[in-house]
Amino acid sequence: MRTLAGISILALVLAACSSGSTDTAAEEGMEETTAAVLDDSNCAAAESFCVGLVTDIGKVDDKSFNQSAHEGAMAAAAEVGGFYKYIETTDTKDYAANMAQFTDKSYDVIVTVGFLMAEATVIAAKANPNTKFIGVDQFQVEEVANVTGLIFPEDQAGYGAGYLAGLMTKTNKIGSVLGLEIAPVQLFAKGFEAGAKASNPSVAVTTVYHPPADNAFGDPVWGAAEAKKQLAQGADIIFGAGGGTGNGALIEIAKAEGAGTAIFCIGVDTDQWFTVPEAQPCLITSAVKGLTEGTSDLVKLAFDGSIAGGNFVGSAGISDYHDFAAVVPMDVQDKVAGVVAGLKDGSIKTGVTL
Amino acid sequence: MTETKTSNKIGFFVRNQTIVVPIAAIFVAFFLGGILIFLQGVNPLVAYRAIFSEAWFDSDGLLRTFQKTTPLVLAGLAVTVGLRIGLFNIGAQGQLISAALASALAGIYITNLPPILHVLVSLTCGVIVGALWAGIAGLLKAYRGVHEVISTIMLNSIAIGILDYLVSNPFKEPDQALQRTKKIAETAILPNIGVIPFGFILAVIICLLVSWMLNRTTAGFRFNTVGKNKFAATYAGINMKLMVVTGMLLSGGLAGLGGAIETLGITYRFEPAFNAGLGFDGITIALLARANPLATIPAAILVGTLRAGGASLQFETGIEPEIVDVLLAITLLLVSAPILAKFLFKGKAQKSANVTSGWGN
Repeated sequence: MRTLAGISILALVLAACSSGSTDTAAEEGMEETTAAVLDDSNCAAAESFCVGLVTDIGKVDDKSFNQSAHEGAMAAAAEVGGFYKYIETTDTKDYAANMAQFTDKSYDVIVTVGFLMAEATVIAAKANPNTKFIGVDQFQVEEVANVTGLIFPEDQAGYGAGYLAGLMTKTNKIGSVLGLEIAPVQLFAKGFEAGAKASNPSVAVTTVYHPPADNAFGDPVWGAAEAKKQLAQGADIIFGAGGGTGNGALIEIAKAEGAGTAIFCIGVDTDQWFTVPEAQPCLITSAVKGLTEGTSDLVKLAFDGSIAGGNFVGSAGISDYHDFAAVVPMDVQDKVAGVVAGLKDGSIKTGVTL
Repeated sequence: MTETKTSNKIGFFVRNQTIVVPIAAIFVAFFLGGILIFLQGVNPLVAYRAIFSEAWFDSDGLLRTFQKTTPLVLAGLAVTVGLRIGLFNIGAQGQLISAALASALAGIYITNLPPILHVLVSLTCGVIVGALWAGIAGLLKAYRGVHEVISTIMLNSIAIGILDYLVSNPFKEPDQALQRTKKIAETAILPNIGVIPFGFILAVIICLLVSWMLNRTTAGFRFNTVGKNKFAATYAGINMKLMVVTGMLLSGGLAGLGGAIETLGITYRFEPAFNAGLGFDGITIALLARANPLATIPAAILVGTLRAGGASLQFETGIEPEIVDVLLAITLLLVSAPILAKFLFKGKAQKSANVTSGWGN
């Protein structure tokens, strides 16, 4: 009897608990991300503008890649009075299903974040010709009318950071701890190496990619271990590039002896001074790409209808030195600024090929 | 009169507590999960409805539920078979991914076979590779006394390393930036029958066979005897070394079948990220099913349902899909720790299934 009573009490409490709140609770939770359109029930209507975002295996608060795209898409949707929602993918086999959640509701724009989703995005776009797809970091080999790949000259950002590292290293040994070996990451890494060699021909660069796995961009433990290894081998500037994996490296370096005086780290994608404050003791700069800006621009272009299929090249460079403006010598800062400007106007080439 | 009736009822629950406890655990987990969802400002019933309406009442969703369930049934079965013989095979993941690659290679490079035969050959390749990979741990245990918990988890890492190399170098799809193989031939594809993947039917049949083997055959009797008391088994003349090696081969073969079905029925190629965590979910399922082969089916359906409905949950309510893992973790905790059984049945609680007898031997 006790058993039955126990179970029925549970059931009663569950019912009571849920009847206390209504469907509006769900909507309240979403309110901060909604602007003029309150829900996505009429996305098909011409006057409503719905934007959906699907992450690759990652979270919208990853302090890096997904977060930047998420913030850009959310801001742009709010600016034009649209509705915005996102889904965080937990299984690579679900890319298509997650995009289908949005296409089923006739969303106007779907942002898919990350190179890994490139193929699934093109397939979904061909099946849904009336929806605009924005593929962040997805280079389009073939032009599909409703897919726009947002790509960045990562090699330029890496080159700028590498140029700085080449001038700053005392041991002539620098390293990089990277995520999965895919085009955007390779461009960062090769640009970094090319830049370092350009400013300091005698520098040795150690490059290590995370082995292919579902957590290649979310393995801070591995990142930290690799960073430690490189420090032990005498590297004094390390470039951490690969979502949570790279962040793990940065945080480990920030804890190392001599961090900020003899040992430095360089972040990636966004200005990680703000996104990974734990890395501030060593973070001289970040090799950044204009993810938030690029995503936001494209969503707005989609809103006014002038978005085109193919590739859209965003901006890339290095971020502010913040507290290290006093540590990096003035002549180094001038030289790096010159190189970054040269890369932008095309007078300097990184020479990086994949 | 009424008194005896109620005690009969209690008797029914006590006798069937291996079923009652997991079900009660699921209810408690959903209740606690409901509180977490409520605290995020969402009606728990709306949230659960989002999961189940997507996973069960939508044809694409239902297909995905079964697709996710299939490898989980087999991974769970692999761990279950191990547990029954007192081996804790936590290397199902390594066996599963090795088999996934093996079956993909058979699907790609063996050509000119008729459809059904090609599928069979590819599945067999997967089963053999999975079995052999686990067999290494079996041999190490039987002849060197290496504990299988240590060796299987180390073999996971070795498998990942070897597969990374293979899929990045000799078997990499040409002109493709991602590390993955080519697509398998049309003849090697396992079809879906409506919303039921063919692989799911296969998994259910295998489940029935394993259950029959464990409960109705001499081999099964030997398995159970070894699992219950290996000293008594040795005394009774059972060849322990042979049993350990066969147990691991069978366990690995089942995990391998899961990986092979996944490749031939869903992913159509091998890519390291595809099979993430399936083998580890197998451990959850085997423990949830209390090492009962038939119970792995509902346990796997539960996990498959929650995983298939996770995205819909976030889409409808904004709740992060990880709440699903919280639900599973609470359920598992309540099933494996005897807290709930003791609370429900007091002194009549059975000891938990002999799921951890592999430890310390």
